Amino acid sequence: MPVGALCIIVTILVAGFLAEPDRYAIGYEPTQPMPFSHLIHAGINHIPCEYCHTNAGRSRYATVPAFQTCLNCHHFVNSPYSKTIESLVKSDKSLEWKRIYHLPQHVFFDHRAHINAGIQCQSCHGPVQKMNVVRRVMNMRMGRCLACHRHPEPYLPPNSSIKRGPTDCTACHR
Amino acid sequence: MDKLSIQMGEESLGQKAISRRRFLSLMAASAALAGTAGCKASDKDVIVPYSKKPADVIPGIANYYASTYQEGLSAYGVLVKAREGRPIHIDGNDEHPIFKGKTSLRTQAEILGLYDPQRLRHPRISGRQSSWDEVENLILTSLRKSAKNKQPVLLLTPAVISPTRRSVIADLRKTLPGLKHVEWEPARGLSERKAAEALYGSFAVPRYRMERAKVLASFEADFLGSMEGAVEAAAGFAFNRKPATPKHLMSRFYAFESRLSLTGAKADARIRIKPSAAAQIAFAIAWALHHRHGMGLPGKLGSEVLRPFNLDAIARRHGLDWAVLSALTADLARVGRESLVLAGPALPPEAHAAVALINFMTGAEGHSVDTSHSVDAPPLAEPLDMARLSRELARGAYGAAIFCETNPSYGFVNADEFNHDLAKTPMKIFLGLQEDETARRCDVILPINHWLESWNDFETSTDLLSLQQPLVQPLYDTRQTEEILLDWAKELTESSEIETEPRQYLMARWRKEVYPAGTPASFDQFWTAAVCDGILRRQAVSRPLRRMRPEALKDAARSAASAEASTGLELLLEPDLKVWDGRYANIGWLQELPDPVSKVCWGNYLAISPEDSKKFGVSDGDSVSVADGTQNAVLPILVQPGQAEGTAFAALGYGRKGDVAEGIGTNMFPLVADDGPAPFLRLGVSISRAAGRQPLVRSQKEFSTQGRGDIVRLWSMDEYRRNAKPPKDEKELATLYGNPEWPEHKWGMAVDLSACVGCATCQISCQSENNIPVVGPEQVSRGRIMHWVRSDVYYVGPKENPELAHSLIMCQQCDDAPCEPVCPVSASVHSSDGLNEQVYNRCIGVRYCLANCPYIARRFNFFDYTSSIKDPLALAFNPEVTVRPRGVAEKCTFCVQRIRNGTQIAKDQNRPLRDGEIVPACAVACPADAIVFGDLKDPESRISKLSRSDRGFKVLEEVGTRPAVTYLAELKNPPKEVRRV
Repeated sequence: MPVGALCIIVTILVAGFLAEPDRYAIGYEPTQPMPFSHLIHAGINHIPCEYCHTNAGRSRYATVPAFQTCLNCHHFVNSPYSKTIESLVKSDKSLEWKRIYHLPQHVFFDHRAHINAGIQCQSCHGPVQKMNVVRRVMNMRMGRCLACHRHPEPYLPPNSSIKRGPTDCTACHR
Repeated sequence: MDKLSIQMGEESLGQKAISRRRFLSLMAASAALAGTAGCKASDKDVIVPYSKKPADVIPGIANYYASTYQEGLSAYGVLVKAREGRPIHIDGNDEHPIFKGKTSLRTQAEILGLYDPQRLRHPRISGRQSSWDEVENLILTSLRKSAKNKQPVLLLTPAVISPTRRSVIADLRKTLPGLKHVEWEPARGLSERKAAEALYGSFAVPRYRMERAKVLASFEADFLGSMEGAVEAAAGFAFNRKPATPKHLMSRFYAFESRLSLTGAKADARIRIKPSAAAQIAFAIAWALHHRHGMGLPGKLGSEVLRPFNLDAIARRHGLDWAVLSALTADLARVGRESLVLAGPALPPEAHAAVALINFMTGAEGHSVDTSHSVDAPPLAEPLDMARLSRELARGAYGAAIFCETNPSYGFVNADEFNHDLAKTPMKIFLGLQEDETARRCDVILPINHWLESWNDFETSTDLLSLQQPLVQPLYDTRQTEEILLDWAKELTESSEIETEPRQYLMARWRKEVYPAGTPASFDQFWTAAVCDGILRRQAVSRPLRRMRPEALKDAARSAASAEASTGLELLLEPDLKVWDGRYANIGWLQELPDPVSKVCWGNYLAISPEDSKKFGVSDGDSVSVADGTQNAVLPILVQPGQAEGTAFAALGYGRKGDVAEGIGTNMFPLVADDGPAPFLRLGVSISRAAGRQPLVRSQKEFSTQGRGDIVRLWSMDEYRRNAKPPKDEKELATLYGNPEWPEHKWGMAVDLSACVGCATCQISCQSENNIPVVGPEQVSRGRIMHWVRSDVYYVGPKENPELAHSLIMCQQCDDAPCEPVCPVSASVHSSDGLNEQVYNRCIGVRYCLANCPYIARRFNFFDYTSSIKDPLALAFNPEVTVRPRGVAEKCTFCVQRIRNGTQIAKDQNRPLRDGEIVPACAVACPADAIVFGDLKDPESRISKLSRSDRGFKVLEEVGTRPAVTYLAELKNPPKEVRRV
C-alpha cells in the first residue's frame, strides 16, 4: 500500500516536471542571431529602454526595434556590426530573435498598462542593463502576475494613485 | 469553416458507430499525440522585427481605413479594421452621409471573401497554370483577330456605377470598336425601371427617406431585407419606431405581401395578398385618395383612369378587409407628404406606376421619395436581352467573350442553353475571384484582385463620390480588373500613353474631372483627404422634380385593370438576404446565418401557406417539384405561417458549385421567366410531390412562447399607454446573495425590440469580431450552432396571418448567473465590472453551465472547428480574441476585448471613460441603432436612461438571474380597424 502510494506520487511528480512548460524556468539565456549586448546599450551608454522598444507605452507589444532604428546611431558609431545592420536594412531582410519571455496564446498581456502606470521594465525583466546576454529572470506563472496585481506598491512610483492591478479573469484572458 | 474539416471531424469522431477496437486505437493515437504536444514547441518561438518599419503600423494596435464596397447599384461606405496590415473586420464608414456608419451583413462577411481558400491564385489557360505574359499574348492575338475580321467582342459585367471603370471601358472601346458592353445583375428586378422610364422618361434611382414617413405601405417590398438600400431604410424606419414615451411619434406601417418577409414581420397591419393583385389594390387606394379624400391627380389625367378601381369592388374581388384599406387611405390623406408607399422589385411595372401615382398624390414624391441627387441607373440587361445575347453567341457572332465578375452559366435563366451557345465563341475569357460555373467553360481564366486589394471610385449620388482603396497587397498573383482591361487597350494601340496602373489612372481622372478648379488646397492634399475619408462630398444642383406623363399612367392602369385573376399558384422569387444572387455562396458565415424569419440556414426552400400545405398534403421538409411548364426545380417545403394562400416563395442564389456551396440548396434561376414584364413573379406554377425528404436545417424549432410572459413583449400603442412602467430596480428584486458592489463600472446593454428589424447584421459582425466558427448543416441540425447573439422570433395570433414578436438573445451577463455556481473549475466567474466571464483555458467541458443557462446563451465546441481550416482563412481571425479549441464552452462577453482596450486608452490619456466610447461589435453594426451599450454606474449615460425606460423589461425576470440586458418592448401601432388577438 505505501509503495503503491509512493509510486503514484513519484509518477505525478515526474510527469509534472516533464510536462512543465519551458516558460516556468528561470535562467533561459539563448544565443541570439547577433550578439547584441544590453550591457553596452542600456548600461554603459545609458540608452533608455523605450528609445528602442518604442511601443511599450503604446501597445500590448514592447516590440523588438526595426533595424532601421539601430542605424540612428550605428550610422555614426564605429562598431563591428554597423555594416551588417546596414546591409540588412538595404536588402529589407530581418533576423529571427529568440523569444525569452514567452506567454501562452490565451494570455493577453498589455505592456502599455504597466509602462503607463510607471512600473520599471526591470521589475519583471530584471537588471537588463547589466546583462551582456539577456536572461529570463521571472518565471511566467500566473501566480507572479497576481502577486503583483494584489500588492503592487513596491513596484509603483512613490505617489501613484494605483492601489491594485485588476484581478478579473478577462483582464488577461478573453 | 470549410466543409472538409467538418466532415473530417465527423468521420474521426464518429456519427457512425465506432467499434470498441476502433475506439481503443483512437484513444491510443490521441495519447501518443498528447505526448508529442508536451514537447513544448510553442514555447520556442521567435520574434522577427521589421527591417524598415512602416510609418503607421504599431504591432498590437489596429488601423482603420475607409473604403467602399459595391453590390449591385449600392456602394457601401466601409471602415476596415486592419491589424499588422491584414484586414480583419468591416464596419460602416461613419463619415458616409447616407449609410452613417452602417453596412450590410453581406459586406461584413466579405472578410471571408478576401481570405476564401477557393480564390484563384494564378492565370490559367485551359485548366493549366500559366503566366500573365502568356495569357496576355493569347488574348491579344484573339482580340486583334476579332478587330481585323470586324467581329464584335462581348464584355459582360455587373452594373457599373464606377465612373472610373466606365472610363476604362470607354478607353478599351476606343481601341476595340467592336466591343459590346452588357451590364447584368441576374437577381435584380427591372420593373421599377420600366415604370419609371415610361412615367418620367428616365430612371433615377430614388432614395427612400423612411425617417420622413409617418405612414408607410409596401406592396411585396422587402425594403428592410433583400431590397437594395435596406441598410439606410432600416435606420430610417427604426427612427420613427422607438418612442421614448407613449406620447412620442410612432409610425404606422401597412404591409401587403404574399410571403412573410422580414419587413412584413414589422408591419402594424399585414394584409395577405396575391402578388398579382398588388397593382389593382394600389390603384384602388389611389381611387380612394381621389374620390374620398379629394386628392388631386397629376395634371391632365382625368379621373376616368381610376374608374375600374373602386376600392369596395377591388376589396371584394381580392377578399380583403375593406376597413383596413380605408384606414390606410385615411392615414395617407391625414399625413399627406409624410408618407411613403413602395412596390417590390418582383411586381410588374403597372404596380410600380400605381405606387408612383399614390406618392405623387400624397406629395411624398419629392419628400420621402427623394430624387434630388439621384443618378440615372446604368442600363441593365433584362432576361430578354440575355436570351438575345445567347442566340447571338449560338450564331458565333462574337470573336471573343469576356466575362468579368459575372456568372451567367449559373444565373442565366437557360444556363444549359447558354453554355451550349457559348461553346461557339472561339475565345472565352473569364475575369473573377473564383473558378465558378462560367470560369469552367472559359479558355482563359484571369484571377482578379479582391475589392480589399483594389482602387476604384463609385458614384451613387450626384453630390457624393466614394473611394475604394486597397487594404493589402494582392495576396496572390492577381491583377485588378481595370488594370487588365487597360493593359489590353495599351497593347492594342501600341501606344505608351495609356496609364495602366489603377491608382495612377484613378488619380489622373480625379485631377482632370473631379478636382474643382480654384480649390485652395493642392491636388495632393485634396486627394489625400478624399482617400482618408473614403468619400468626397460635392456641390451639386438638385434635380428638378420628376414630371409624370399621364399617357404612361393610362397605359399602366389599363393593363392593371385588364389583368385577370390568376388561378394557379403564384411563385415569388427574390435574391436571398444572405447569399444574394449566389455571389456569396462560398462564404460559410452567410450560409450558416439563419434566415431572420424562417430560421432556416444552409439552403433554400419553397415557402407555402398552412392552407396550401393541407391542400397538397405536404409538410416541412418534404421534397416537391416546382414546374412552370418548361423548367422545374426540386426543393424542400417550408410551411410558413403568414404566407398567403395560393402563393409560394423561394430564394435565389442557392445550388451553386464550389467548396462551401456545393450541394447546398436548389438553383431557382431556371424558374425566372425569360420574357414578360415581371420575370421574378411566376403565375400559374404547379407543384407536385417529389421523391424523398430534405429535412430543413433550422436554428430555431419552437416558434411559440408557450404562454410564458416575459420572453418577448409585444405591445400595441394602447397597451403601451396602459402598461408603461419602468422595470424594477435591481435592488428591489429579491436575492439570496446580497447586492454586489461595482467599484468602477457596471456594464449593461439595452435592446430596443421596437427598433430591431431582425436583420441579423449583428450576428455576422459578432462572428467576425469574436472568431466564431462555422459548424456546418449537420451540426446545426443537432442544435450546435455557435452564434453568440441570435435573433428569435415567436408567432402570436392565428397561424394563417400571425404577428411576429422579435427577440435578440445574447449572454445576459446576469448578476446572479446560474452558470457560475455549477462550474466545477471556476471557469465561469463574475468580474468586478459586472461581466460574466468565461475563462477558456480553465474550461474542462462538462457543460453544466450550458444546462443551467435559462437563456441558452452558451455554446459548446463539440468538435475542433477551427484548427483544420484551410489557408489563408486563419488570417481573418481577430488576434484579440482566443480561438477556442474543442471541448470548451463559450458565449457573448459584451466584446470584453473592446471594453479592456477602451478603458486602457482612457487610463493612458488620464481621463474618465466617455459614454459611448466602447461599443460592442453588434451595436456598431446594428443599422437600426437598437443595441445600446454602456456603464450603468453613470446615471447620465444613454444605457442608464434606457434601462429605466417605461417599456423596459428583463427576459425571464422571475427566474431571479438579474440580467444586465434590458429589453424595450416591441411596439405595434395598428389602426383601430385591425383587431389584435
